[in-house]
Amino acid sequence: MVFLSLSCWIRNRGPDRFWKVQEIVKHARHFRGRKNRCYSLAVRAVRRAFVYATKARTLKKRNMRTLWITRIAAASREHGMKYPALIHNLTKSSVQLNRQMISTMAITEPRSFLSLAKLARARQQEGFRAALGDGKEPPGVLSRVVLLQ
Amino acid sequence: YQWATFARSWFVIDARMQPPGKIASMCSIRLQGKHKPIYHALSDCGDHVVVINTKEIAFSGNKWEQKVYSSHTGYPGGFKQVTAAQLHHKDPKAIVRLAVYGMLPKNLHRRTMMQRLHIFPDDVLPEDIRANLTEELPQPREIPRKLNEYTQEEIDAFPRLWTP
Repeated sequence: MVFLSLSCWIRNRGPDRFWKVQEIVKHARHFRGRKNRCYSLAVRAVRRAFVYATKARTLKKRNMRTLWITRIAAASREHGMKYPALIHNLTKSSVQLNRQMISTMAITEPRSFLSLAKLARARQQEGFRAALGDGKEPPGVLSRVVLLQ
Repeated sequence: YQWATFARSWFVIDARMQPPGKIASMCSIRLQGKHKPIYHALSDCGDHVVVINTKEIAFSGNKWEQKVYSSHTGYPGGFKQVTAAQLHHKDPKAIVRLAVYGMLPKNLHRRTMMQRLHIFPDDVLPEDIRANLTEELPQPREIPRKLNEYTQEEIDAFPRLWTP
């Protein structure tokens, strides 16, 4: 006698459920509560986290730029200049350093930053002399504009 | 880096005849650490600030009578409004403290920054604070001289602006 119908009752489901679940839950391991263990809760939390990560890529650039600007403003105030004056005079002297480089220079190379501040101050004084002095004095050295787009 | 870059220094500000708003803005910049090129909001880089002579603070204009500080006790009918002159009479430290509190960023670091601010109504400082002070900041407002502080030669040398 052969049992023919027993084999029809056994269901073979997918062999790789463990790895499919792990590939999502591994991104949630540092979360708080049951979201770091249970798949249904973790799926929603992981999707939210990825959405925040994509939106943050543009915000990171903005935040870094404001941080650089704050740091440059602090360092230039230590040398007696204000941030808008510094940047304006540096661009007028055609110094094309971006804010990232100027802020790292202000932290790691204080003397180079001091020389930049003095350059900006000299250009500022030349600008004042040109505006107030009726043009009979010779124009300043730094005001010979080379290339400004 | 330069030596003692990450040290926490103690500043002292003399508030005699100064507008409390300018004093408060200087305080808030140094409490947050925004005067340092290594500033970051998460790195705890604020300094201590000691304010002296706050009972001789000087508002400009009619603010002593017109500026109103309001608060609510939480109970019904508990809305209190006090003019700046009355508040200063009751507590000479409160005006500077409230001004700095409003100028700091509105997050959880504000309370720790307020704990690093030390206000004294007069010149008397405790010994341990006096031992810690590192730098005195210049006053934001130049105090104008009174007429009896000018010498007679300066008064005579002043040009006559109008004939009475």
